[in-house]
Amino acid sequence: MSSEPEPVVRIRELKHDRVNFVLENVDMALANSIRRVMIADIPTVAIDLVEIDSNTSVLPDEFIAHRLGMIPLVSTACDEAMRYSRDCTCETNCAFCSVVLELNIRSEILGLHLDVTSNHLEIAPARPGVMDEVGEELSKRVENFGLPVGKNNPNVPPVLIARLGKGQEIRARCIAKKGIAKEHAKWSPCSAVSFEYDPHNKLRHTSYWFESDAKAEWPTSRNATEEEPPRDDEPFDYLAKPNKFYMEVETDGSLGPQEVVMKGLQELQTKLANLILGLKAEPEVDILQNSEQNQGPGPAGGSAQNAGSWNSRPTGGAGGGWGASPAGRGSGSWSPTTNNWGNRSSPNTGGGGWGGSSPANAGWSSSGDAAGAGWGNQAGAQGGTWGNTATSAQGAGWGSPGQQSNGWNV
Amino acid sequence: MNAPNRYELYVLEEGERPVEVVEDTKIPNAATIKIVKQDHTLGNMLRAQLLSMPQVLFAGYKVPHPLHPYFLIKVQTDGTVAPTALVEQACQKLIATIASLEAKFKREFTFKGVDGAVPEAGPYGQGAEMSWPGQKDYLDL
Repeated sequence: MSSEPEPVVRIRELKHDRVNFVLENVDMALANSIRRVMIADIPTVAIDLVEIDSNTSVLPDEFIAHRLGMIPLVSTACDEAMRYSRDCTCETNCAFCSVVLELNIRSEILGLHLDVTSNHLEIAPARPGVMDEVGEELSKRVENFGLPVGKNNPNVPPVLIARLGKGQEIRARCIAKKGIAKEHAKWSPCSAVSFEYDPHNKLRHTSYWFESDAKAEWPTSRNATEEEPPRDDEPFDYLAKPNKFYMEVETDGSLGPQEVVMKGLQELQTKLANLILGLKAEPEVDILQNSEQNQGPGPAGGSAQNAGSWNSRPTGGAGGGWGASPAGRGSGSWSPTTNNWGNRSSPNTGGGGWGGSSPANAGWSSSGDAAGAGWGNQAGAQGGTWGNTATSAQGAGWGSPGQQSNGWNV
Repeated sequence: MNAPNRYELYVLEEGERPVEVVEDTKIPNAATIKIVKQDHTLGNMLRAQLLSMPQVLFAGYKVPHPLHPYFLIKVQTDGTVAPTALVEQACQKLIATIASLEAKFKREFTFKGVDGAVPEAGPYGQGAEMSWPGQKDYLDL
């Protein structure tokens, strides 16, 4: 992307619960990943377990439990202020991995219903004697962490949970946990994310249904003012790619829009970094497996060659594996012994596939002429199509030094 | 009650390897990489980045089954770089792009915070522009 222009961000509108911005010079896939990650990968806090003590309302327990789960709770900085329950050392839930809210309400008014709302949820007093563990999570919490969004704020309408007639009551203990929206949508910090590009449909990614004239019948969006409308005589540029993306992120209040966007970008980077780590870790695991399999001279060569060449599957393993079950080796099956295409029948497989450490094995397309097993160029003796291990024929003519010690007693 | 835990969609199991590389046996310079516990978010982004790189002859990804939490990304290079090394490069480039986006967002947010009269208090901090019809204190549906 070095030749491409730098990405541009312009925030058009920032409100307490939403942000509207334009993204330019980025790929559509990247813009969409940002959208996806903001919706589904950012942790928030939501009620996950409800212990119902008493429920004499007209609504069944699970109905109420579900409604409680959907209430947005203040989750500011919750990746630091709270642990996932599954990572916590406690047995079920503790102060570090949960927030306990209590709902305790009874209607005593005759003839009038009582509205049970999210304002009636109170943080339960901490249970004594459980807090012997140390952790800095609690100090990172904001004052109203875990409380319903906008609780006791007269400008924010509370969420209605149920209505009670005289004598009816609900007593419940709600355990709120951290989670992400891939597990359940209640953990999504976003109530809506809008995403638009190409408001004039210049790229023809969509086709408009129309009675007589699409232009007259379909109003343009407000984003259309940002781009030049196409001239009527303009030829269709079928190579054009979308370049400008209009997004609006609207949160449910559990996180601010700024936090959602920034955390989303961080989360994307984390995903990529983990992938790099995974790719790097890969050969090491293989070396381990190889040295276990291979009592012979194989591994040294294998590990040296592993560093980053794309025969990252250290072929030392092949040596050990070969003798073990030569016939069962399928071509290209996933196993530590799988070699690269075509040249598993090379004698040098024991030491290194192509690009390997064996001197005979310099280039990938010529893995040891002695063996005659460059890919697609199997020596007749081996009789294999490439990637195929002609097991019986292979025994003969293998110039590998460590045949016997590697167990190739074919 | 035999449904798998929902978090298994995105949390690696004990000892599970996040990445598995299978070099292609029939195509030169090609590899299929299985990336576990990730989805279109990463897959599509990576595929697009790979396609924008000149060394790439082919790049594609698929999520073989929506209930199986992994995807496969297939890369063929022109031979100058190994497929896995190229994927790594792609990741690094994406990280750089996102980092620059992040810096720009940060700047934009601080600008808007200064002159846009957005309270720093966070969501629903001092928002007074909300009003609902009727006298009720919740939205009556």
